[in-house]
Amino acid sequence: MSFAARFSQGMKAAIPVWIAFVPSSIAWGIAAERHGLSLDEVILMSAWVYSGPAQFAVLAPLAENKSALQVLIAGFLMNLRFLPMSTALAPFFRGVRRLPLLMSSHVVSASSFIVPYLQFQKERGGVAADRQAAHGAGGYGNLAFFLGVGVTAFIVWVAGSGAGFGVALGFTSDFDEALRFILPGYFAGLLVVEMKGWAMPLICLGSLLGALPGALASPGWGWLVMAIVVATLVWGVEQWKLRASRSS
Amino acid sequence: MEITRIQIILIMGLMAFAMRALPQLFFAGQKFPEAWDRWLRYVSYGLICSIISVTLFMSAARVETAAAPRRALALIVAIVIARKTKSAVTGMIAGALLVLILSWLMI
Repeated sequence: MSFAARFSQGMKAAIPVWIAFVPSSIAWGIAAERHGLSLDEVILMSAWVYSGPAQFAVLAPLAENKSALQVLIAGFLMNLRFLPMSTALAPFFRGVRRLPLLMSSHVVSASSFIVPYLQFQKERGGVAADRQAAHGAGGYGNLAFFLGVGVTAFIVWVAGSGAGFGVALGFTSDFDEALRFILPGYFAGLLVVEMKGWAMPLICLGSLLGALPGALASPGWGWLVMAIVVATLVWGVEQWKLRASRSS
Repeated sequence: MEITRIQIILIMGLMAFAMRALPQLFFAGQKFPEAWDRWLRYVSYGLICSIISVTLFMSAARVETAAAPRRALALIVAIVIARKTKSAVTGMIAGALLVLILSWLMI
């Protein structure tokens, strides 16, 4: 499959992400304007930081002229989540040169991690049986799919932020619930379609439940720590079972 | 020396970029040992589910208890339909419609 075809495959998979990004980016643009940020700052932050939760988190301290260190620490903690996301995607970009990889990594976000990651996992399962698919799922093919999701979602986010700065909300509050459901509903659907074995459902359930107390304890990274703890516990049990079955 | 708001945004973006780019520099195309590969996969699943949970049930560091039951119900419906139809989009649309109707009925 060509780079362009693979890119457009990623674009199609990103359509629900765009729909969800439109209201949230506009909301951010409006909030930023109300907090006294200029249009330049709004666009710069959306394009250069490109992290919804971090952008919302630093808005108040930035507007109140709190210390730069405080703003940067808040932003850093919110953006720590990109480290495991980018690490999980990295093995799928085999053979891609460093410069395109570095430039592409700017569009790593929760959405551009989840959609391609689950797609790559699905393809990896089919690769052994299908050598044609193996060709399409090479490093550059995977990068094209990732960029199809990441770049288009990025454009929607930046454009939406700019639009939100000047325009009132385009959606009435009646539709808030449905708009809010789109991303988590889509991610859950992608995940459950690929679900197999006992470990994956256990991790999903544990993380789904554990994330809330984790986020209450520490909004920035409590949920992230909980996800790592739950996954490591299940992984440990599975390792132990594997060793036990090998030795018996 | 006082740091301007633009400078803070630039530094913040640079830090975010480092979080995104460093793993690509060191791990791109690498094949991890089987056990570590599985661990990374499990952590990824855990992260995805945590993101779903936080996005759906929390707002401004608080659990939205009033909306949580209808959202949880919509999530369950979306999961069941996605699994049965093998289509994430179908599940998502069904869940979104359900949560919308329930919110209009104020359930």
